[in-house]
Amino acid sequence: MGDRMKLRHKTRGFAYILPALVFIVVIFMIPLTYTVVMSFFRWNLLRPDLGIKMAGFSNYARLFTDSFTLDTVGRTFNFVVGAVFIELLVGLGIALALDTEFKGWKIVQSILLIPFMIAPVVVGYVWRFVLNSDYGPIIYILKQIGLGELVDKPLLSNPSAAMPVLIVADAWEYIPFVTLVLLAGLKSIPYEPYEAAFVDGAGSIQRFFYITLPLLKPSILVAVVIRTLTSLRVFDIVFIMTGGGPGTATETLAFYGYRTAFQAYNIGFSSAINMLTFAIAVVFTILYMKIIGGGKNYD
Amino acid sequence: MRTRFMMILLFVLLMVSCLAAPLRLSSEVGIHTDAWKTRMEGFTKETGIEVEIQQFPYANYLDQLMLGYTSGRVEIDAPYISMLWYPALSIANYIYPISDIPGYEKINEADIPGIRNAKLNGKTYIIPYMNELGGIIYRKDLFEDPVEKANFLSKYGYELLPPKTLEQYRDIAEFFNRPPNLYGVTLMGRRSIFLATHFMQRLWAKGGALLDMNMRPIFNSKAAIEALEEVKYMFQFANPAAMNYDFQEALNEFISGRSAMAEVWTTGMFYVEDESRSSIVGKAGFVGFPRPEEKLGQKLPMLYISWGFSVSSKAPDKEAALEWLLYVTETKNEVEAAPTGNIPARFSALNSPELVKSFPWIGDFAAAMENCIPTPIVPLIPEGGSIVSGIIAPAVSEFLAGTKTAEQALNDAVREVDRLMRDGGYY
Repeated sequence: MGDRMKLRHKTRGFAYILPALVFIVVIFMIPLTYTVVMSFFRWNLLRPDLGIKMAGFSNYARLFTDSFTLDTVGRTFNFVVGAVFIELLVGLGIALALDTEFKGWKIVQSILLIPFMIAPVVVGYVWRFVLNSDYGPIIYILKQIGLGELVDKPLLSNPSAAMPVLIVADAWEYIPFVTLVLLAGLKSIPYEPYEAAFVDGAGSIQRFFYITLPLLKPSILVAVVIRTLTSLRVFDIVFIMTGGGPGTATETLAFYGYRTAFQAYNIGFSSAINMLTFAIAVVFTILYMKIIGGGKNYD
Repeated sequence: MRTRFMMILLFVLLMVSCLAAPLRLSSEVGIHTDAWKTRMEGFTKETGIEVEIQQFPYANYLDQLMLGYTSGRVEIDAPYISMLWYPALSIANYIYPISDIPGYEKINEADIPGIRNAKLNGKTYIIPYMNELGGIIYRKDLFEDPVEKANFLSKYGYELLPPKTLEQYRDIAEFFNRPPNLYGVTLMGRRSIFLATHFMQRLWAKGGALLDMNMRPIFNSKAAIEALEEVKYMFQFANPAAMNYDFQEALNEFISGRSAMAEVWTTGMFYVEDESRSSIVGKAGFVGFPRPEEKLGQKLPMLYISWGFSVSSKAPDKEAALEWLLYVTETKNEVEAAPTGNIPARFSALNSPELVKSFPWIGDFAAAMENCIPTPIVPLIPEGGSIVSGIIAPAVSEFLAGTKTAEQALNDAVREVDRLMRDGGYY
């Protein structure tokens, strides 16, 4: 192929990806760049008289020296790990149970999706209702079966219980998503390795650990990465169920970022918080790819 | 010649379009907005000025205004706003001093309690339309029940009346606390500005303050610690679920007849009188927030909430905006609109016999208003909201949750406010 042909080939290739590139730049890169830039400024929307001033790394210095921010990172980490772990465990269990063809499979699939289709705000209200210490059904049932002592103090007002409750509410919403991703993965595993394992006399546990799990890794990676990224941004259910309280027990990074941006109108510092969240998301994703993906490229 | 003709035509068209442009109002979605909306038609009939309104949910109304003004895209002439918002909007020159508009003197400021809060550097930026106070709404039927009165007298040694002192308030809450069917008091324990109000009311009643004259935070004083501890003390007479209540949930508990008192604000009375949802219609009264016995008779700060009209700096016809303000805040119009869900800002409207006859509690409210120093729920500086919602509310919540002592929570909050004020260039 001549040089001109090569160039034309490259140009044509570039033309094909240009729409996508424009889309990415407009939708992702511009806001991201803007956030990065703003994180180096001191800008308070409530104080336009102070102007927009270059702040250097002071917003970041505050992030890493402020014990509240570090505590908030810790709480967010607990939330993400707790929610993703439960979702993966339960989602995998349900996916394995449903990995058979049976009559009414479509109906089960639809029912399974219901929590995932509900808006997170509504999920927050639903859970707030079911946990109400006066008329919430869960509290009523716990009291009826003699576990009333556990809920003497309303769960959402109890600093030790509020975060686990949020994790459960979040897991309730997203387990269907994880289940469906894993189920799709299970359905794509060929039957031949199982046949070979049968012949070799492998039991069901061995088949699970040596065939199912390794071949399911790509699906697990997809589910875990997506859920980690979305959990890191958890806001709606925190806002509705606890408002970040009691105390600061359920204040997550996204909620802190919201408070900083829309209560204090401190755009610079809130941009720095968002950048921190972004950095944590990148670290999580790389870690997952190393651990689950074993460093493989799944392109 | 042709150019000149075109210029004149353009000028005439511009003038006509300006004359025909309606007055653009904005507001949150709420009952006092519903009240003044009933006046829009009458205003147009009387003045020939068309009025249109844009409404936003309360939760993002300020965001919409701020983002709109910042980007220069706001097309609102007279935003109806919370009094807490005007310092930020005026410092940024987004809103115009109404007192600079010719004809302002017709407003009659002396008739509007709390108007001093609407002034910055001697200029008025907002005309209150709705005024209310933080206080206690209580069950008149229970307080007037002869058996209850006798039992209370024998237990506490004095007559059961709406609480005037903090000591009486505690006793009454304890007396009526009969869970799970009746609680002594309804409080709002959810981490929010509502929770902070419980602390601030007590802080003021005990003679404390949030900031000193130099804008330095001083709410970790002995009085403040006592005030915070008293908030926690009162929660023992409230439904445990109240630890996560906001304003609406607190009201719901009270109007369903499940508590003897609710520490909310005057608007709550409209919900009490709403036959479609209240089970205690006609059975409640209002009293201003109590104070320590030794401070009886003194004029003390009391939590004051006000919404009113401001005028955008970019409003093309500020006189038309003032016309609207004069019309809608006229005593007659305030009285007529009130039953829809508004507590009038003018004394002359509050004392209207017609209104007091329909809503007897209005008289109690007017009396409370006259005997207090109406003090906005947050300091009237741009950082006010951050101080109360973002710093004090979490501090109160931490103490209630038991994760910090009162002293620790307040000291930490004072440090945070100090940093905020330094960043804001106050000192």
